[in-house]
Amino acid sequence: MTHVRINNLTKAYSGVDAPAVADLDLDIPSGRLIALLGPSGCGKTTTLKMIAGLIRPTAGDITFDGDSIVRIPPEKRGAVMVFQNYLLFPYMSVGQNVGFGLKMAGVDPKTIDQRVKEMLNLVRLPDISDRRPKQLSGGQQQRVALARALITKPRVLLLDEPLSNLDAHLRDEMRELILSVQRDLGITTIFVTHDQEEAVLLADRIAMIFDGRLQQFASPDVFYRHPASERIARFLGGVNFLPGKRQGDTVETDVGSFRFAPGGEDERPPEDGLLTIRPEQIVLGQPTAENTVQGRVVSRIFVGTYTRYRLALGSHQIEAVRSADVAGDFAEGQDVPIGFPADRVWMVRPDQAA
Amino acid sequence: MSWERWRIPLMLGPTVLIILVLFFGSLGFGFLQSLGFQPQLGNTELNFDAYISVMFSEEHSSRFWAGLLLTFWVAFASTFISAALAIAIALLLRRTFFGKRLAVFLFQLNLPIPHLVIAIGMILVFSQSGLLSRVAGELGLISSPREFPVLVRDSSGIGIILAYVWKEIAFFGIIVMAILQSLGEDYEAAAQSLGANRWQRFRYVTLPLIMPGLMSASIIVFAFTFGTYEVPRILGVRHPEMLPVMALDFFLNPDLNARAEGMALSIIIAVIVLILVLIYMYISARTIRRG
Ligand SMILES: Nc1ncnc2c1ncn2[C@@H]1O[C@H](COP(=O)(O)OP(=O)(O)O)[C@@H](O)[C@H]1O
Ligand SMILES: [Mg+2]
Repeated sequence: MTHVRINNLTKAYSGVDAPAVADLDLDIPSGRLIALLGPSGCGKTTTLKMIAGLIRPTAGDITFDGDSIVRIPPEKRGAVMVFQNYLLFPYMSVGQNVGFGLKMAGVDPKTIDQRVKEMLNLVRLPDISDRRPKQLSGGQQQRVALARALITKPRVLLLDEPLSNLDAHLRDEMRELILSVQRDLGITTIFVTHDQEEAVLLADRIAMIFDGRLQQFASPDVFYRHPASERIARFLGGVNFLPGKRQGDTVETDVGSFRFAPGGEDERPPEDGLLTIRPEQIVLGQPTAENTVQGRVVSRIFVGTYTRYRLALGSHQIEAVRSADVAGDFAEGQDVPIGFPADRVWMVRPDQAA
Repeated sequence: MSWERWRIPLMLGPTVLIILVLFFGSLGFGFLQSLGFQPQLGNTELNFDAYISVMFSEEHSSRFWAGLLLTFWVAFASTFISAALAIAIALLLRRTFFGKRLAVFLFQLNLPIPHLVIAIGMILVFSQSGLLSRVAGELGLISSPREFPVLVRDSSGIGIILAYVWKEIAFFGIIVMAILQSLGEDYEAAAQSLGANRWQRFRYVTLPLIMPGLMSASIIVFAFTFGTYEVPRILGVRHPEMLPVMALDFFLNPDLNARAEGMALSIIIAVIVLILVLIYMYISARTIRRG
């Protein structure tokens, strides 16, 4: 169990103007599973490699349980990185791959054999010890790579895009495996992903990164309810944005004013920004509910378990999703009351570009 | 239709024919010569006399066996030393440092230089009257050129090995650098993350990864140093003498009967190299299967 702190971490590659990682601050309590989420090229791998020691930071500090580790060489850090492309040694058997870390530490062969067996059981791959990495599927290779990292009992486990090279069904299996192993062993784990769904399903907390800068560090539900910016909201699948001005807990827009529930202390919505609500949170056809305005159905698509509506609201268009379980349906061209429940509405700052 | 099937074989035909005639024709004729087939001398009877003469006759046998030993020693030592040095240099050149491009250029500079020129350069630099000896004299390290160690035309083949190392290091270097480049450093990073120190990363990761390519290059260098005469002809002594030089002597002998012995010796050299390559391929195939 290791408490990881990252302070002002910066990496500027030589010859590149913009830093790959800039002033990153993260506080990761021991035993947690954290996601670094962001689009490709935002500096996630660079951050992991700095924690692992494989890249030297340009500035800033990393501490494990309060002790700075940036001067400790990677092989002594106990922060083991599992690479996106597994990197199993092709000339070794699976068993030798898994036992590699212990062999390097000078552990006796008998103990190594036994621990390899335990680890392969842990990742649910018993009986493949004698095979070659290239005889395994991608999912199996990924699990062997995980076993190879875990056998060294790392203080911090670093997973670079552990699921993105896997097929959909293997992804579910691997995700569940990571989750259960992490819960069982309690290793502080940082994993990298560009897939918001993965981050939400796996992580205790998500660090959202754009252009090497931390945007928001919060639990998954906070990202959905109280995203900090339009860009974050869009990254997480948000599509509804209405320009508005906030006065206290009310937002004035050109289609009406909406009350919203205040967030926590560190979640102060901007005065001047965009009102946002996720499509699945919009309530249709309840004229008496709070925050309800009249709109019109522009189009509807039935997708089996739900129906997706495109709605005209003044000069704006928004999207709403309505579960098939809820009674009632609305035809194209029909006028419909559109409700924004106060605890689902939020204000975000707009993109700089917009 | 059926013409289509024959198109590629027909197009390749002339080339294949030329290769067959030139290669197997000359090889076959050479083999016949080694068996004493020399119609222009009226010898059409085939026998192994030339082989027996080269290996066991009083006249040639001591030269042959001493030469065989020297040839093995020179080929093994040159191959091993140049491979080892090339790995070390390629690993150093992989890092970024000031003047790296120049260093890489210098490292590969002697690749296009002929072996003959390298051999002569060796004499100019390493002989008792050479550059190093003179520098040592000027510095007062030695009082006469004779005190300078015999590094060329020495009986243990040091000069020959030095020349081959000098030359083949660039060949190994190109190959090792290409392999390292294509591998990247990710495997080593993964190993380091798992706790491998510098030496362990080299021993358990880098070396096994470059081994297959290195071994193929070693076969080429070994076969080459085992079978060519220019360098040992210039930098070697009369006795012991490397086998290719001995074969050359047979060929240069005005007595046409020596032809058969020259051919026999050449074929012995080829067969030894072939056997070593086959043994190597057998072992490496087995280790690959076994791990
Ligand atoms: N060795 C390097 N030299 C220069 N630029 C690099 C290097 N590695 C990564 N970068 C750049 O740094 C940025 C972040 O890269 P990376 O950390 O790999 O992003 P991610 O893992 O989020 O996709 C990218 O713009 C990338 O091009
Ligand atoms: Mg990456």
